[in-house]
Amino acid sequence: MNTSPTSRRRFLAGAGALGAVGAASLMTGCVSSGSSGGSTSQSKGGTVSLQSNLSSPQAKSAMEDLVAAFDKRGGAKASLNTVASETFRTQLPTYLTSGNPPDLMTWYPGSVADAYAEKGLLLDVDDIWTQPELSGYSDALKKLCTDSQGKKIFVPASYYWWGVFYKKSNFRKWGVTEPKTWDEFLALCEKLKSKGVAPIGLGAGADTAWVASAWFDYLNIRINGAAYHRELLAGKHRFDDPQIHKVFDTWAEALPYFDPNGTALSFQDATTAMLNDRTGMMLIGTFFADAAPKDQLGDLDFFRFPIIDPKMPLVEEGPTDGYFASAHTHHQAEVKELMRYLATAEAQEIYLKGSSGTSIPTNPTAKDSGTALVKKGRAMIESAADVTQFFNRDSSDALQPTADTALTKFLAKPKQINSILTDWQRDAQKIWSQ
Amino acid sequence: MALLTATGSRNGGEGSDAGTGRGRGLGRRLGRRRAATGVPPVVLAFVLVPLLAEGFWVFWPALQGFWLSLTKWDGVSPPQFIGLGNYREMIHDSVFHTALLDTVLWLALFGGLSAILGLGAALLLQQERRGVGFYRAALFLPVVFSLTATALVWQAMYQPDGLVDKTMSGLGLGGLTHPWLADQDTALYAVIVPALWRQIGYVMVLYLAGLKGIDPALYEAAKVDGATRWQQFRHITLPQLSSVNAVVLSVIIIDSLRSFDVVWALTRGGPYHSSELLSTYMYSTSFQSLRLGYGSALAVVIFVLAFGVIASYLVRAFKEAD
Repeated sequence: MNTSPTSRRRFLAGAGALGAVGAASLMTGCVSSGSSGGSTSQSKGGTVSLQSNLSSPQAKSAMEDLVAAFDKRGGAKASLNTVASETFRTQLPTYLTSGNPPDLMTWYPGSVADAYAEKGLLLDVDDIWTQPELSGYSDALKKLCTDSQGKKIFVPASYYWWGVFYKKSNFRKWGVTEPKTWDEFLALCEKLKSKGVAPIGLGAGADTAWVASAWFDYLNIRINGAAYHRELLAGKHRFDDPQIHKVFDTWAEALPYFDPNGTALSFQDATTAMLNDRTGMMLIGTFFADAAPKDQLGDLDFFRFPIIDPKMPLVEEGPTDGYFASAHTHHQAEVKELMRYLATAEAQEIYLKGSSGTSIPTNPTAKDSGTALVKKGRAMIESAADVTQFFNRDSSDALQPTADTALTKFLAKPKQINSILTDWQRDAQKIWSQ
Repeated sequence: MALLTATGSRNGGEGSDAGTGRGRGLGRRLGRRRAATGVPPVVLAFVLVPLLAEGFWVFWPALQGFWLSLTKWDGVSPPQFIGLGNYREMIHDSVFHTALLDTVLWLALFGGLSAILGLGAALLLQQERRGVGFYRAALFLPVVFSLTATALVWQAMYQPDGLVDKTMSGLGLGGLTHPWLADQDTALYAVIVPALWRQIGYVMVLYLAGLKGIDPALYEAAKVDGATRWQQFRHITLPQLSSVNAVVLSVIIIDSLRSFDVVWALTRGGPYHSSELLSTYMYSTSFQSLRLGYGSALAVVIFVLAFGVIASYLVRAFKEAD
């Protein structure tokens, strides 16, 4: 208990300093100024800081390999800072508005990136798109990475696809084949139901309610087309339009075949249910394979979401992941060097080798993991008339909760569709008017 | 906990020695006051530095929260002043009404049940018997765990084919099995159970401390007068616990209003807002919908509700101290 005066004095000095630092950081972090603040990783010296939301163990170590490979080749150096994906999502606006931001961040192209570009927060990378690493990229990707003012603001690295996944052994056992059209799909569901299996697994439980949006996206794309879908998500149509009612009328035809636990299980548990033969199939993105045991992967196959209106061009969901750089970066040249490297076939193959390997590299010369499943998925996306991203990526993360509420309510109370769509429009309006 | 040890040690060991103990404490206090008349700069610093830190890290952000509640802000662009628009919106916001109603329901069920069951547990476990320490520790143990971590365990139990459903089928109640967290009729109650499971232990400890503070002579006198057990409880235990009741009441109300972790971990306020509390609605509005102005307005409402309780409690506490 006998503190010597010197140490006490030193403590007080320290406490005083701490107070001063806090005061200073608060002055600069003043809310209305909208600058600085937040625990962003600051870059030291000439090192480019890369803020990553790929926090699952496999993806994280794959990113570490990637950064190590970049550092080894000489020139600019990079440092990786991996943040839990939910934290990353909520902190991203802070990163981007910060006066001393991370230089490069993982995120999505399309309307999400465009919203930031409109506010002047993203680095214009037009010049690196003319370089050999990126000039061979497909036109669809070029369009996706261009903002509404015509500037390139994004470098894509990989994409994945959505499909109706099932177990080959089960389809053989039940004597059924992949459906092509909506009617064939309903007939398949009827048959599976007669075998005592819940035909359609969902996985829209508490943490992963967003999975249900895939059904909305696909039905809307198949019935009303990709252009209408994008305009709807941009606020140019209303969620209580007759077109949207048609989407839900069609969905209602398949509702009796949904697993009654669809909104109680997360997609990981729904995957397990399918692998354990409790459900027949599920509409899901390839990321679900991370949760599947390796020995089951060979037994998995998928089919394209069934065709509803044969006049509609075949559009698929192919969410793309990649990088954008902060407009406030202090290391423009180094960041662009890193972005060019991340676009190379070499870099994308390093990442694929380390990660679960179900995504497809964006560089046309990069090799994918080569499994039958990946080949089939790549062929489906490459032959698609157009590629949409996903509900939140084609609109904004802020709009996603309104969809989650509307869709889980529809799954539980399909008869209340009128009030559900009115409420959805009202909630969405609040987001659009931000 | 501090309350428990303080009252416990006063009463536990040397009940007859209380007089001397009090005398010694008084002497020490007088000595300290004599030394403090000069107010040495170190003491001043001890008061002012924390005040400064508190000012910058607590009061200033809180004031900014009030300012933000009068704005429209997406977290990226500069905030736009819209006056009381957010509060006007609240009046017509049906989700806000649900959240307010659920918060009241939560307060009544979570608060009421944890007080009653906590008192019951304390009464059962107040006598020193062999093994009673084990039961006390067992009931208090949930308080030690992180509620977010335990929520994950409860989530697994509530799952279709989870422990709850399996137990019910085992007992022949298979017809009652249910996706507990995914049904709007059961979600809120399913979330209250883990919250209660934790809170009861906490309230029990507060009441145990209060019960230890009651002079046993009162019970002896009542017994001599032929009072029944119920009469002893009604006319001795309850009145003697009144000061603890004030603590428990404020703890419960504050804990109810700030309940967030368990709800967020289990249902995120869903399905379709049916288990939404003001706290979860504030979070999802601010950080998911990025409507930080409206979220701040919700935070102000929570603050006003909580502050009302804390202020009335403090006023009462100071009055008693005088």
